Amino acid sequence: MSERKDIASKEEKAVEKTRKLISATPAVDIYENDDEILLHADMPGVVKENISINIDNGTLSLSAVRRFNNKGVSNWEEFSDVEYIRRFSIPQSIDIELVKAELKDGVLKLHLPKSDAAKPKMIEIKAA
Amino acid sequence: MFTRMSDIDRMFGAMDLLRNKMDSIFDGYNRSYLYGPAFTLTSNSPRTNLLENGDTFEVQAEVPGISKDDLNIKIQGNYLEISGKRSLDIPDGYKVHRNERGTTTFFRSFTLRDDIDSEKVEAALKDGILYLTLPKSETAKPRQITIN
Repeated sequence: MSERKDIASKEEKAVEKTRKLISATPAVDIYENDDEILLHADMPGVVKENISINIDNGTLSLSAVRRFNNKGVSNWEEFSDVEYIRRFSIPQSIDIELVKAELKDGVLKLHLPKSDAAKPKMIEIKAA
Repeated sequence: MFTRMSDIDRMFGAMDLLRNKMDSIFDGYNRSYLYGPAFTLTSNSPRTNLLENGDTFEVQAEVPGISKDDLNIKIQGNYLEISGKRSLDIPDGYKVHRNERGTTTFFRSFTLRDDIDSEKVEAALKDGILYLTLPKSETAKPRQITIN
């Protein structure tokens, strides 16, 4: 007669599921003064080799991956391997050549200096 | 009868679909809770992991931007306490546009399953993560008894 069919299909159960890398949004602080915009981002556990900072066409993209090499049985796990991703729009007046970044204690500090044209200028009035 | 069977099959197929949908919902829910910015637990304290590896415990905590002077770790028996404070280094003369990384004082305590040898505890702070290696005390370890 017709072919035999299992009542419940098992196609998905046998497939090995690899743990996918989950993306997270880092918390940031943004400061500004006359010379630069300063961005602080919390990225605990990230090493500087795994951070990429891209500035393209007025968009700043941060991406950082952290991986743990955990051995042993986990009793509880509240954080894990993660990819930190965040995008910002930045004004065109940023001098991309002079952008500096430092990483300390899991906090990324990004200095975005303003180009000279964008800095406030004092106009001196000459006596006629 | 066999046409009925295929009906059942289809019904379970629909249930599988539903289950996958539900899974993905809870996946997203998990994500916002577990993988958001640090310090988003309701108690405003850092997230931690506890790993057990033979005769040591390993505790990890996310403490971005906290120097080792601002962290306190106390151990007594099987009781572990991590407390500290996070202060922001807001640079002088800057306007604040966005402030998501709050200042906080936090406190978390744990009761571990076995006593800890507090003399041999090692703590390391690396890239904003605190790693604690906590060896179990000798009395907590299983002992082989030889029969005379």
